[in-house]
Amino acid sequence: MTPMPRELLDTFLQQRLTNTASDFWQNARAELGSGVSRSRFSALIALASRHAKRHPVALSETEQAQLQEALPGLDMRAWNQLELLRVALVTARSDLESDAFAADFEAQFVYADEGETCALYRALPFLPGPERFVWRAGEGCRTNMLNVFSAIALDSPYPAAHFGDTAWNQLVMKALFLELPLWRIAELDSRLSAELTRMALDFAEERESAGRVLNPGLWLCMSPANKERLQPLVARHWEDAEPHQRCAMIMGLARAGEHTQVQHLAETESDIDVARAIDAALGGNFDQHTFAHLVVEENESQP
Amino acid sequence: MRFFDPHIHMVSRTTDDYQNMAAAGIRAVIEPAFWMGQPRTNVGSFVDYFATLVGWERFRASQFGISHYCTIGVNSKEANNEGLAREALELLPLFALKEGVVAIGEIGYDEMTPAEEWVYQHQLQFAVDHDMVVMVHTPHRDKKNGVLRSIDVAREVGVPMEKLVIDHNNEETVQSVLDAGAWAAFTIYPNTKMGSERMVEVVRQYGPERIIVDSSADWGVSDPLSVPKTAHLMQERGIDPSAIELTCWQNALDAYAQSGQIDVEELLKEPVIDQSQRFSDNSVLRGQQPRIDEPVKN
Repeated sequence: MTPMPRELLDTFLQQRLTNTASDFWQNARAELGSGVSRSRFSALIALASRHAKRHPVALSETEQAQLQEALPGLDMRAWNQLELLRVALVTARSDLESDAFAADFEAQFVYADEGETCALYRALPFLPGPERFVWRAGEGCRTNMLNVFSAIALDSPYPAAHFGDTAWNQLVMKALFLELPLWRIAELDSRLSAELTRMALDFAEERESAGRVLNPGLWLCMSPANKERLQPLVARHWEDAEPHQRCAMIMGLARAGEHTQVQHLAETESDIDVARAIDAALGGNFDQHTFAHLVVEENESQP
Repeated sequence: MRFFDPHIHMVSRTTDDYQNMAAAGIRAVIEPAFWMGQPRTNVGSFVDYFATLVGWERFRASQFGISHYCTIGVNSKEANNEGLAREALELLPLFALKEGVVAIGEIGYDEMTPAEEWVYQHQLQFAVDHDMVVMVHTPHRDKKNGVLRSIDVAREVGVPMEKLVIDHNNEETVQSVLDAGAWAAFTIYPNTKMGSERMVEVVRQYGPERIIVDSSADWGVSDPLSVPKTAHLMQERGIDPSAIELTCWQNALDAYAQSGQIDVEELLKEPVIDQSQRFSDNSVLRGQQPRIDEPVKN
């Protein structure tokens, strides 16, 4: 039987916490399960920093597979151990479905420090009644702290599942603007729309006017909509583009259904990586995971 | 050389300051909660201010390779608005136990009123109850008496002297602080009060033990580079390099690391500024290229 996401948090923690940290977690879990005041809830989340460090969670392949099965779209590649402990603390309450929890959870954001804010947002996909927190998640996306924004927008199934079109498009465009890796936005492929493609194309033209380079993530926003604007954009940048940018453009053209154009470019391309991207595109592989595999450089890490 | 400025109000400073501080070798700062220059009118103002110290300002500093810690407390001037001060004190448990909060502070006396004393005592008790370090602001007027009283009251409440930092000292107060067993911090003010030249002589006379140099730079005329400038003057005037290291780095670290809120191992790593990792060009960078992989110059 597939373990519940919350049980997995406990399993992952047990593999990583020191003995004293594990004691803290076990005691806190018991306390939270039997009911605590709002201020005690807040104190436990704060005190977690004394027991867990900001070391990467670094899931094993087996753990990663378990997580994917339990909570598709969630990836802990950018999580640290302190965040893991804090998310476990939040979800250890026995009243997660109650109004009291919703009010206590919201109140945490008023007093949260930078690290706690990220952890609170990382808890969203684990909470029952997720639609209750859509305003909070949208508010979080208005942050200027990149690590906070990333905690909501990347590697989480929450936004695609619960954001309306306006908030979703803003999230994707902000990620593009902030030069974040768009392939890490869960379900980007399934929520592409004509409107999002238009916004991305407009943004590309703004960047051109400002004489600034185009982020490869731009090409992930392409869809069959507005394809008449796509060809000239590619034409303006193809010659000067680095191989990984060309790979991204190939993916963009394929996503727009411009296979003839891809074939045309294949005739003159000599770079091995770009040729590989062309083969993938013509073979029907141009989703965000293929994009990550082909375009994302080894050194692209995450906040 | 690397420097620790354990008293500086970064919310009042610009990104130019952060850049210059990093270039001058400042690797870590402590931002004490203090007065904002005019009276606060409601408790929400304290909430947002404290939240800024543990949130946005921490993030801003990280963009320049500087580790940002803070202290939380209700300062002496604002203690005199008794109703508001009581409301603000209720916020202490919500903010003072956060990650990176290294002390209760800056607290103490301004005019030495009964209201100030009550707020000071209340916060000393909180520090004792939670095993925290205390950063004490000493008054500008009637300083010598203020220093003695600050120490006496802290001792009465039960603050261990090794967890007490008395700030804004001068030649007249330093001996009493050292005799008590507390840490003696000196604020280097350009033009007024305690300048770098006087600081050099203090270190020459009293030695480096438990002496800490800081800038207390804020919204007034002040210099965020006071610590490195003083260190360089000490070097010129022949002060032993180990004494410079102690007064401009190690003592502050030793005093405040007692909080358990400084990850010393992490702090000692070579800092690398990588604004592209966590930086938004709609916040502090505006269209310029982010700085990447440029180790902070020391």
